[in-house]
Amino acid sequence: MTDTRSPKDSDSADRAAIALDDARILIVDDLRSSRMLIGSVLRAAGFHTLEFAEDGIEALEKFQAFNPDIMLLDIVMPRMDGFEVCERIRKDLKSDTPILVQSGLQEGEHRVRAFEVGASDLVSKPINAGEMISRVKLHVERRRLVESLRSYRRRMEDELKSAEAMQLSLMPEAPEIDRISEGRGARVEAFYRASNQLGGDLWTIFEIDEDRFGLLMVDLSGHGVSAAINAFRLHVLIEAHRLNRADPGTWLADLSKDLYEMLPIEHFATGFYCVFDRRTSCLTYATAGAPSPVIVKADGQTELLDASGLIMGVTSAVDYPNQQVQLKPGDRLCLYSDALYEDFNIPEKSLQPEEIADHVKASCESAEPGGFPKALMYRVYGGIPQDLPDDLTILLLEVAS
Amino acid sequence: MDFKVVTKPDTTSIELSGVLTFDDHERFKAVVEAITVAESDGVELDLTGMKMIDSAGIGMLLLANDRAGKAGKTLALRGVTGHVAKVVELSKVDQIIKVL
Repeated sequence: MTDTRSPKDSDSADRAAIALDDARILIVDDLRSSRMLIGSVLRAAGFHTLEFAEDGIEALEKFQAFNPDIMLLDIVMPRMDGFEVCERIRKDLKSDTPILVQSGLQEGEHRVRAFEVGASDLVSKPINAGEMISRVKLHVERRRLVESLRSYRRRMEDELKSAEAMQLSLMPEAPEIDRISEGRGARVEAFYRASNQLGGDLWTIFEIDEDRFGLLMVDLSGHGVSAAINAFRLHVLIEAHRLNRADPGTWLADLSKDLYEMLPIEHFATGFYCVFDRRTSCLTYATAGAPSPVIVKADGQTELLDASGLIMGVTSAVDYPNQQVQLKPGDRLCLYSDALYEDFNIPEKSLQPEEIADHVKASCESAEPGGFPKALMYRVYGGIPQDLPDDLTILLLEVAS
Repeated sequence: MDFKVVTKPDTTSIELSGVLTFDDHERFKAVVEAITVAESDGVELDLTGMKMIDSAGIGMLLLANDRAGKAGKTLALRGVTGHVAKVVELSKVDQIIKVL
């Protein structure tokens, strides 16, 4: 036979063959002559990893031992027929391996029932070599594709999971939070959840001296992987910038300058940073476009702080003025990210600052110690949200009584 | 987000409507392209029809502003109201991008 295919055609045909010729095929037929015929047709088409079974019982045994990529199944067989084999493979073995049922064209009922019990497709009987090979290739190819997508998905999920764990480890843990805050006349509660495993919210607490601690909350623009990478970058900056931590405005400006050099033009961060001093019970803070923090005083009065200010990372030099608020024992400060109140699906349902203040106040009153973030989420969302459109952080600082 | 380019005698106005969020990243590239190829030096982004903007949306405006500057053009925002106005006021992004 003269090969008239162009080199290109032959290339692509070879590639397809390479992808499929290692397919494992299980042939089930009670007639030896049929098994031999099917086997030789498949071998001629380049398939060499073949296994055979003579009846339904043997088919199930071989199916589990051989783990085929595809099975060619006869219906009428001794001991167990093809319908039952098919049903057991789907129901008991929970396998979605393609099963091609051999069926005579006149067997109308067989054809319907074959699909009912989970057959992937039919091949006509007596065997038509061209049709059978085409269908085998089609189903094996489809299965390979699904498997590669599945394995890609599994790998991505694993990678995201480990990245998520790494990101969570950037945030301080409860014993650390308690040691720093309770040793300095306050108590801090925190909740953080990324919208899609990885996020751009970052918060931290650190000691400044034996009387003061700093509390920082930042929201990197966007969400997902790019925001998370920026959060890691910012975390490095936070660790590196130890000077000026007692001076919120200067410290935020330091971070902003480095972020400006580090981030792409369309990325930035909003931030709120405060220093609490137990000697004066005074909170000194600087703001870079963060949502309005809510103060709930011990007597129940609420106050919204203005946290506007140029977002961080958009210019080389910025001046963040220090502001101060006098707190008293039992007063609480609540910080939150914009995911708490923004509703992009129904913009009209977004919460106004005053509504947030009311929710924060009510949650302060109803929550057990340690339960504030949960109480606030129940009030706002009716529960702890599983599918957030954006990253959510909630922080509460309470001045010790 | 949807947009429409309106060419006026001395300026090009690009009217944005809907919400501008993370999901509009790809579509916004066409807006940036429209800014850089505009015939006039002054380009306005008209946000009158824009209901809401998130941080990624603000990032897109920053990007548009940067690209406009590099193309020798001046970008300005017009029709900043409602939620967009609140976000601009909070983020002080009007210190970076001109708001009319």
